[in-house]
Amino acid sequence: MSNVIRVVEISKRFGDIIALDNISLNISSGEIVAVLGENGSGKSTLAKILYGLYTPDRGYIEVNGKQQVFLSPADAKKYGIVMVSQRPQLIDELTVLENISLFLNKPLNKIYNDINIFLQEFNIRINIASPIHTLSYTERQYIEMAKALLARPRLLIVDEATTYLPQSMKIKFFEMMKRIVATNGSIIFITHKIPEALEFSTRIIVLRRGRIVGEFDSNNISLDELRRVMFGETAIIQTTKQAQDIPIIKDAILKINNVLVEDEYGKKAVENVSLDVKQGEIVGVVGIAGNGQRELCETIIGLRKVKKGQILFEGRDITHIPPNKRIAIGLYYIPEDPFRDGVFLNLTVAENIKIFSQRKIERKAFQDIISKLNIIPANPGVKVHKLSGGNVQKVVLSRIFINIPKVIVAYNPTRMLDEYSSRLVASTLTKFASLGGSVLLFSEDLDEALAMGNRIAVMSRGKVIGIYNYTAINRSELEKVMVAYA
Amino acid sequence: MLKISIIKRELPLHIIIPLRITIAVIGLLISIVTASLIFNQDPGTTITFLVNSFLDLNIFRYISVFLPTALGLSIAYSAGLWNLGAEGQIVVGAMGATFIALFTPLGTIEYVGVIASLLFAFAMGAIWAIAAIVLKVYFGINEALTTLMMNYIAYYLVDYLVYGPWRGRGVYGYPETDMIPIQCRLQRVAGYSFSLYPLFTSLLLTILVFLFLYRTRIGISIRALSSSFRAVELSGISSTKLAILAFMLSGALAGFAGGTEVLVYHRKLVPGAKIGAGMGYTSIMVAWLSSLNPVAVPLSAYYVSSLYIFSLAIQIGSINVGDAIARAVIGTIFLLTIVSEFIARYRIILRFRG
Ligand SMILES: Nc1ncnc2c1ncn2[C@@H]1O[C@H](COP(=O)(O)OP(=O)(O)OP(=O)(O)O)[C@@H](O)[C@H]1O
Ligand SMILES: [Mg+2]
Repeated sequence: MSNVIRVVEISKRFGDIIALDNISLNISSGEIVAVLGENGSGKSTLAKILYGLYTPDRGYIEVNGKQQVFLSPADAKKYGIVMVSQRPQLIDELTVLENISLFLNKPLNKIYNDINIFLQEFNIRINIASPIHTLSYTERQYIEMAKALLARPRLLIVDEATTYLPQSMKIKFFEMMKRIVATNGSIIFITHKIPEALEFSTRIIVLRRGRIVGEFDSNNISLDELRRVMFGETAIIQTTKQAQDIPIIKDAILKINNVLVEDEYGKKAVENVSLDVKQGEIVGVVGIAGNGQRELCETIIGLRKVKKGQILFEGRDITHIPPNKRIAIGLYYIPEDPFRDGVFLNLTVAENIKIFSQRKIERKAFQDIISKLNIIPANPGVKVHKLSGGNVQKVVLSRIFINIPKVIVAYNPTRMLDEYSSRLVASTLTKFASLGGSVLLFSEDLDEALAMGNRIAVMSRGKVIGIYNYTAINRSELEKVMVAYA
Repeated sequence: MLKISIIKRELPLHIIIPLRITIAVIGLLISIVTASLIFNQDPGTTITFLVNSFLDLNIFRYISVFLPTALGLSIAYSAGLWNLGAEGQIVVGAMGATFIALFTPLGTIEYVGVIASLLFAFAMGAIWAIAAIVLKVYFGINEALTTLMMNYIAYYLVDYLVYGPWRGRGVYGYPETDMIPIQCRLQRVAGYSFSLYPLFTSLLLTILVFLFLYRTRIGISIRALSSSFRAVELSGISSTKLAILAFMLSGALAGFAGGTEVLVYHRKLVPGAKIGAGMGYTSIMVAWLSSLNPVAVPLSAYYVSSLYIFSLAIQIGSINVGDAIARAVIGTIFLLTIVSEFIARYRIILRFRG
């Protein structure tokens, strides 16, 4: 086959961590290669080397039979290699339009229409004149995806950016992927959703501790077999049991009354939202990213001002108290943007855990929490910026394990986690609720919300447009509601 | 076409330290030799001056000021807060110490006088710093500007005192106070103008600051503040209180330095510009040179103090290059020190392409 990109015997180490160990891989045109592997197995490192963000310690990349050294993404882009990164790489202060223009190296007015047409096609409602910092994490991922596709790549690397695409967008995206391979391009597709990998790829490779431990034809491999290769013999925690019905008599511990919140520009971001969470209940909040979910949960936790309305916690008015005081009374938050609000990247794992622990924490407890959450590398002295995406999220999650929350407000708590860790988190949250805790679960993953929530609230354009008992609605109906009002 | 790429790298500490020292030494030699040749001096003589500066015991007079001040600054900078007001905080610290020593009965009591003066110097420095950080956290006013402006206010305040109400009776019209009581003076090392007590205290403070910033939850959160106020809030700690605390400690340590200046060096209050003498600004450099690591501050204070002495030495005596050249040489040396830091952190790749 023509147009082959070859990864030849590449190794990369960071200090004493071996991220990639003698990896060789051929990517022919017309192929969609899915890369699977648990958190920290080296997927992003491989992607970053192909994209010129890291230089390999040993080995090289070959494009069309010629050895290449990519010292920067600009080098990789010359060969049509483009990446949608796991963590959006956009300039916060610049607008969507300016960011894309910088990336494509084309003047603003030339691409203005293209971008709008593209976003419309995907049904993404983002004003391209808004600065990146006003967008939610998932919205920023959409923009990353847009800018990568607009660059018409020959090799598109998608590092876990499809997880929170609504079904309709996902289908569009996979259509686009097919279009790329149909025109002799190729795709590297990193995901934690094994069924998606099976469905959309032509070939699957599995990484484990920096090595390729399996390479399969997507048509000839089963889900269970893949799981076994990915996680070894680690038993996968059984699917969390379905939520129970909460007796009506229980009091609401968290009550949101008619809340109005404005965004950075004084536009209504959350309007007349009323919602309550009872003891022992998990309330899922779903909706397409950017419909006020982020503003709402930031308001509940105190990062945003309430313009009108009231928030009650155990009957107490907390509408105007700062976030730190809300934490102190047992209202915990798993942030929407793990990197920006959830961890301190320049501090070590132990230091992060120490800061987030309300009680004094013993030396031994660090090791316990690290092994419980399966943080890799299992070294409390490592700085968080050196961790893989999923492991960063585990550090974020540590706060609900080391403290005693009453209510957990969580935004996509399983973001970037591999299947094993996702289930650990899901089972932890359901167990927490069964013991009388309450969870307000903002999730852009409908399956997750449906599997865990007792009730599901749907948000659209800043309003809650419906609250359903989990028994009263299914996935496709929910999707219809989400889109109908959008 | 030449292509230059700069790639971040991380070297282990046992390589970084010798590497940086080597580059710093090479840098020193290069700048000395070049400067000497330009000004027709014998490089050998200049290097002798340089070596002597590093061995001169007078450096401790400067370390006494740079060490505590830079230590304090490293707390504020670790929090991502710009305290540019060490100069003013030194000056009000000196004022505070003088006040206790000269105008309260405590000043004439042995030990008590010294301790009270220094404690009050701490307090004055802290108060001076708090003003700026309160404006920042409650009104969003940039702390870099306010701290800078407060330096001038401190100068004028002290000038007002020494020209006015505090002017001494036996000073023949000089703008200064009377000498502080003997009980309040700290004993100098014979023949030098520094005292061991504040130096030891500063070393002790170095260890305390390190333990605070790296071992306690509050200290670690202060370091965390530089990456995100929001994330700190979400950990259950008030970011406002942390910012105020970081600034307070920063100011207090500068105030302490000012207090010791009065108790050891001046032994009276003199006009503001003479107390600070720009050392508060130089301390900013000392802090950054240590990469904000408290344990490295003594080393960088020593380095900067030696160069301070060197710059004084080449202005006078046989070399006599004058003030401007001395500063240029020192500037070059610092530039090279920063380059050494860059080289330690980044790898530079050069490639030629057809
Ligand atoms: N810049 C870095 N410095 C040090 N170590 C790093 C760095 N980047 C990655 N690593 C380490 O290399 C290993 C592989 O990381 P990588 O990000 O490739 O994992 P991943 O497979 O993408 O995981 P995830 O599913 O969590 O995103 C991890 O152990 C990680 O800690
Ligand atoms: Mg990754």
